[in-house]
Amino acid sequence: MSVLRLAYHYLRIGALNELQYRINFWLQLMQSAVALTVGLVGLSLVFYHTTDVAGWSRAELLAVMGVHILMGGLIGALIQPNMLRLMEDVKQGTLDFVLIKPVDAQALISVREIRLWRLVDVLVGMVVLGVALVQLGETLQLLALFAFGLALACGAVMIYSFWLILTSVAFWVIRVDDMINLFEGIYAAGRWPVGIYPAWLQGLLTFVVPVAFAVTVPAEALTARLDSSTLALACVLALLLFLLARLVWRTGLRRYGGASA
Amino acid sequence: MADAAISVAELRKIYQVPEREAGLRAALRSLVRRRVREVPAVAGVSFTIAPGEIVGFLGPNGAGKTTTLKMLAGLLHPTDGEARVLGYQPYRRDYAYLRQMTLVMGNRNQLQWDLPALDSFELQRAIYRIPQTEFRATRDAFIDLMDVGAIVSKPVRNLSLGERMKMEIIGALLHRPKILFLDEPTIGLDVTMQRRIRSFIAAYNQRYAATVMLTSHYMADVEALCQRVIVIHHGRVRYDGPLAGLVDRFAAYRQLEVSLAEPADLSHYGEVVAANGVHVTLRVAKAEASRVSARLLNEQAVADLTIEEPPIDDVIEQVFAT
Repeated sequence: MSVLRLAYHYLRIGALNELQYRINFWLQLMQSAVALTVGLVGLSLVFYHTTDVAGWSRAELLAVMGVHILMGGLIGALIQPNMLRLMEDVKQGTLDFVLIKPVDAQALISVREIRLWRLVDVLVGMVVLGVALVQLGETLQLLALFAFGLALACGAVMIYSFWLILTSVAFWVIRVDDMINLFEGIYAAGRWPVGIYPAWLQGLLTFVVPVAFAVTVPAEALTARLDSSTLALACVLALLLFLLARLVWRTGLRRYGGASA
Repeated sequence: MADAAISVAELRKIYQVPEREAGLRAALRSLVRRRVREVPAVAGVSFTIAPGEIVGFLGPNGAGKTTTLKMLAGLLHPTDGEARVLGYQPYRRDYAYLRQMTLVMGNRNQLQWDLPALDSFELQRAIYRIPQTEFRATRDAFIDLMDVGAIVSKPVRNLSLGERMKMEIIGALLHRPKILFLDEPTIGLDVTMQRRIRSFIAAYNQRYAATVMLTSHYMADVEALCQRVIVIHHGRVRYDGPLAGLVDRFAAYRQLEVSLAEPADLSHYGEVVAANGVHVTLRVAKAEASRVSARLLNEQAVADLTIEEPPIDDVIEQVFAT
């Protein structure tokens, strides 16, 4: 797999890069701690008044929060920086250097950047998840763990595809920096299971920005709420979205080279 | 010609440029109906280049040099006409082709900013899948040739512009491409750096029989490297032949930069190109240059005087404007 080989080399370079700024590790740790505290306080405030939210118990919501932090870490460490770099490259004209390389351009633009310290959130998310599972008192079935992993992977692919589609729009409209803020605002909504939102917002969070699949569905897998048809749907949607993203990316590239103009 | 490294026939590239007048109202109107204007950047260019040739590709800014290079490197899709490089159609971007060519752009870089160049070289190795032993041999030879052994392990951000450019070039050639497109590789560098890069390119061309297309604003680059030059202007080839012919034909004059003690009219010495108070730029025939300088020094209160070759851009611009 040449994609994995490339990813490994860039991961190595990225790690070297980030190790030069060790202070960022502490900053990230602080940021993660603050975010976690705010999340926990919010959660306990809600459960001060009630015992369940839209059918989710406190421990289950903690699990959702854990997945939200974990996925947020993956997005911030691996997906977002690459997309930002792509936008920058389109703006500066340095995308040319990608296109003259004898490797798949999409693979290359997807693995070039890593924010190593954002992976702190992946660890924090896993710890929160662990605590939630202990509170739930459930013994983890291997099957549930597998379903969780699969759902998480599907969610990540969907978020990646969503980002690539947005970023490919950079070929048409050059100013897209605001998309980051928009995305982060919407992703913040994923802290709660999408089921608690009104129907129109649920639709938005499921099919426009796939936050539901990135956070709620994996959490459901872990808390034994997930039925297999939802998981199958997640897989199919992930694949479709990925193919769509590739199509949009290629159209964007053709546009960049002026083939369709 | 079947064995040409690069052959281009009636190549054209037309850009669609959105057009609108200034002002808010025009901007709003253009939202509804976008008017596009067609701008021919390359308007039917033909030439062939044999394997191993170094060709200077010259022309004023906006002549279509970069657009042509980008089409040959597979970055832009030609609007019309045919381009073949090593038998490939560049815009298809076959990996087999990309592996054999490189593009260096003097004003853009691809090295990892915060890391030593060595790490970026390692990435190139991974991307081009260069075998380890071959990679080491090539890398070390290039480092030697560029004389950068002492700075390859310094972060790129701490290097000077010239040092960085040397690293860029090494990185871009590690896979030993047969075709080199060099777009202003020496832009903004001092004379020593330019000279080193020039001799590196010459050595690379010698050793690997590589074909080179070079654009530069520096006549010295072209004189040192290119037997042949292709001059384009307004998207068309205006001259294709030996460099000697170009210099004879178009650089038949010199520029005198004169600083006077007090302003004076120098128009009877030669053509005044620019006069800014006590600083005057004169254009005189090449053969006359030393005689006119002597007269100036004798007859005027001259504080400083230099004789310069006219900038290549000016020469070309002037010649083709007529």
